[in-house]
Amino acid sequence: MRGAKSAKWVVGTIVVALAATACGGSGDSSGAKSDGIVSMEIGEPQNGLVPSNTYETEGGEVIDALFTGLTRLNADNKVVNDLAASIETTDSKVWTIKLKSGYTFHNGEKVTASSFVDAWNYGANQDNAQQTNALFSHIAGYADLNPGEGKKVTTTTMSGLKAVDDSTLSVTLSASFSAFPSQLSFTGFSPLPKAFFKDPKGFGEAPIGNGPYEIKGKVKHNESISVVKYDKYPEAKDYEVKGINFKIYSNADTSYKDLVAGNIDIDDSIPTSGLATYKKDLGDRAIDESDSGVGYLGFPLKYNKYFANAKLRKAISMAIDRETIASKIFLGSRMPADDFISPIIEGYRKGACGDACTLNPTEAKKLYKESGGLPDDKLEIGYNADGDHKAWIEAVANQLQQNLGIKVTAKPFEQFATILNDLDAKKYSGVFRMGWNMDYPNMENYLAPIFSKDAIANGSNYAGYSNAEFEKDLKAGDQAPTSAEAIKQYQAADDIILDEMPYIPVYFYKLNAGYSSKIKSMRIAGGDVLWDTVKLA
Amino acid sequence: MGRFVVRRILQAIPVLIGVTFIIFCLVFALHGDPIQALAGEKRADPNIAAILREQYHLNDPLITQYWYYISDLARGDLGTTYNGRAISEIVSERFPVTLQLSLTAFGIEAVIGILAGIYSALRKGRFIDNLVLISTLFLISIPVFVLGNVLQLEFGVKLGITPVAGIEDGWPSSYILPGFVLASTSMAYIARLTRTSMMESVRADYVRTAIAKGLPYRRVIGVHALRNSLIPVVTFLGMDLGALMGGAIITERVFNLPGIGGQLAQSVYLRERPTVVGLVTMLVLIYLVANLVVDVLYAVLDPRIRYE
Repeated sequence: MRGAKSAKWVVGTIVVALAATACGGSGDSSGAKSDGIVSMEIGEPQNGLVPSNTYETEGGEVIDALFTGLTRLNADNKVVNDLAASIETTDSKVWTIKLKSGYTFHNGEKVTASSFVDAWNYGANQDNAQQTNALFSHIAGYADLNPGEGKKVTTTTMSGLKAVDDSTLSVTLSASFSAFPSQLSFTGFSPLPKAFFKDPKGFGEAPIGNGPYEIKGKVKHNESISVVKYDKYPEAKDYEVKGINFKIYSNADTSYKDLVAGNIDIDDSIPTSGLATYKKDLGDRAIDESDSGVGYLGFPLKYNKYFANAKLRKAISMAIDRETIASKIFLGSRMPADDFISPIIEGYRKGACGDACTLNPTEAKKLYKESGGLPDDKLEIGYNADGDHKAWIEAVANQLQQNLGIKVTAKPFEQFATILNDLDAKKYSGVFRMGWNMDYPNMENYLAPIFSKDAIANGSNYAGYSNAEFEKDLKAGDQAPTSAEAIKQYQAADDIILDEMPYIPVYFYKLNAGYSSKIKSMRIAGGDVLWDTVKLA
Repeated sequence: MGRFVVRRILQAIPVLIGVTFIIFCLVFALHGDPIQALAGEKRADPNIAAILREQYHLNDPLITQYWYYISDLARGDLGTTYNGRAISEIVSERFPVTLQLSLTAFGIEAVIGILAGIYSALRKGRFIDNLVLISTLFLISIPVFVLGNVLQLEFGVKLGITPVAGIEDGWPSSYILPGFVLASTSMAYIARLTRTSMMESVRADYVRTAIAKGLPYRRVIGVHALRNSLIPVVTFLGMDLGALMGGAIITERVFNLPGIGGQLAQSVYLRERPTVVGLVTMLVLIYLVANLVVDVLYAVLDPRIRYE
C-alpha cells in the first residue's frame, strides 16, 4: 500500500510504464509473423485436459490438437479412419479395429491396442466420475463398471474390450450400434499412455497425447495453453503450423478485438457485437458455414396434457417466422431449421419438415382452434437468461401472440440447470428453450439422446417423449449393416418426430469464425480446427 | 497504538466467521445445481452426478456443509472446486493479477487525483480548475465498461500502443490501461475531494499564520495545508482499495485479465460455494486491513486524533 507518501516513486513507475508500453505493444506483433506459430481463442477448459473428462468444446479444442483417435472428421464433415487402419464388422455388434503403426505418445511410448482398452475402461468406471462416462455405455460390460450410486464397482474392465495383439482391438457391444465408428471420432475415445494412470490429476495439467502437437510446459489457467509440433508424428509433414498458442478468454468481445488488432490468428466465436461487421472487417478471412447445433422449443409432454396434442404443437410451429429470427434477430448467424438433423450430417434432408416449419398464420390459427387450444389461451416460454436467448425468445413470443391470437409471455430463468430442475420436479409446465450440439457426427446423435425412451432418465429427453414406432426405427438404424441402410432407418425415425413434433426445431447454428492475415486458408469441422488444413500465408 | 491494532485484529475474527457464513447461505440459497452446471446444457449423467454430489457433500443440509467447510478451513484447507481443482491454487493464481491491477489503479488515482485536486484548488476559477471540474464530471458520468471498451478500441486496436487484452506482456504494460479504467471514477472523486478540502485549509487560520510567519509558500501548501486536507482523502482511498479489489469484475472482463473478479463471477454462476466463500473472505480480509491502515494513518496525519 504505497499511498500518497511515495508519490514520486509512483509517478516514476508510471512514466517508465508508459514508455515500456509504447515499445512493448509494437514489438510483439511484428516478431511473430514467420515462425509458423499461430494463436487461437478458446475459453478456460472446464476440467483437467483428460480426454475422457472433457465433454465441452473449449478443452475439446486443445485435446483435439494433442490426441489422435481411431476416426476423425474430415473437411467434408465425413467420418474417416485416423489411427485405425481398418474398422470391420458384420453385425454392427462385434467390431475388429486394426491400428496403423508408427504412432507414439509424446513420451515415446508406443500406441497399442491396450492404450485404448485401458483408457476406455478408465473412462467408463463410475469411480473415476468422468464426464464422458455415458459415451461408453454401448460397450458390453459397461454395466459392471456402473452399478449405480452407493454400490461398489467390483471389476475394472469391460468384458467387451479386448486387445488381441498390439495392433488389433476387438470391441463387442451390448447391442448392435451402427454409429459406433462415428462415435469413435469423439475425443473421449482417445488412447492414454501408462503415465496417465499413475497421476491422473497431474496429467490433466500437462497431458501426454499421441497427436500432431505436444504440450509445451503446463496449462496456464485462464491465460494460455501452448502446444508445439510433435516431430515423430507419422503425418507431421502435413502440418504447416509449427505450434499453437491457445489464448484463454472469458469474453468473446475481447477476443474478437484481439483478432481485428492482429494479436490472435483464429477466433471461432465471433460475438454478436461483431456479427454485423465481421465480414467487412475480415474480408475473405471470414468463415460463415453451417455448424452442428440445433435450437428448439420443447414441451413438457410428460405432465402437461394440453401439449400432448400434436396439432397444438404443429400450430405453434407454423406460427413462428424462422426466417426473421435467423436473419434479423441473429443477423444471419443462424439459419431457419427444416429438419431435426443438422445440415452438416449425412442423412439431413433439406426441407424435411415441410409445411410444419413454414410460417403460415392462417393454417396455424386453424390448427390451434382444432386442437382445442390452451387454458385461457395463455402460453409461457421459459429460457435461460445467461445465454444469448432473450431476444429470439421474445420475438417468438410476439409472433405467437400475433399469429395465434393468444397471450404469450417469455419467462427468464437464471440458468439452464434451473429449468431442468423445475422440469424434473414437474414444477414448470410451459414451453422451454432447448439446444443440441452433437457429440459425434451421426444422425443417431440427433435422435437417441433427445427423443428416445432411455434418454428420459439418462439423456437429454427433457420432454419425456416416447413413441414405440420411433424406438423401433431407431433400433433398426442401430442394427443396420451398412451406413446407407442405417441412414434410411434413422430417417424413418426422423419422419416420426417431424410429424409429431415433440420439440419444434427453430434454427440451425452457423459457424461464424475468422482468421488473421497470417493464415492463407483453413477449415473447421465439427467445431474443431483441422490443423492439417491450416495453410500459412 | 499497539493495543489498538491488536484489538482491531481480534475484532476481525468474528467478522470473518460471520461473513463466511452469510456468503455460504447466500450461495446456498441460489437456485441451480452445481453438478448440472458442470455438464452445461446436456443432462449430467445421473449416476456420475450422484457420485459427485456424495463426494462434495451436496446432499447434506446447509449447516453440515458449512461445518465441513469451516473445519477444513481451520486446517488451512480451502477445499476444491466441483471439478477437482484446489481453491488455494486458484487463489494463488488469480490474486496476484487483481493485486497488481488494484495497486496500479490505486497509484493512478492517488497520484493524478491528489495532484489534480491541489492544482485546481490553488487555481480556483482559472482554466485548470475548470478543466479538472469538467473532466472529473465526465469520468464520473461515464460507465466503466463504456470507458474500458472505448479506450481498448482506441489504444489497443487502432493505435496498437497497449495490448488489447490479457496479461502476457506483464506489469506494467498489460495493466496500465485497465488500471486507468478501474481508477477513473475514484480518481475523479479524489480530485474533487482534495480540491474542496484543500480550499478549506488554505483559508484556515493556521495557514494564514504560517504565511504570516514568513514560511516559504511551497512548505505552507505542501506540509501545513496538504497534511490536513488529506484526512478525508485517505479515508476514501482506504475504503477504495477494498472496493477496487472487489469491483474489478467489469474491468477484468473487458481486458480479459485472469483476476479474482472474473473468477468470482464465474464461481457464483457455477454455484461453487467453497470458491465463492474463499474468494470473498480474502476480499473482506483486505478490506479490514485497509481500514486498519487508514485508522493508523489518521494518527500520523493528525496528532490530535487519539485512540485510547
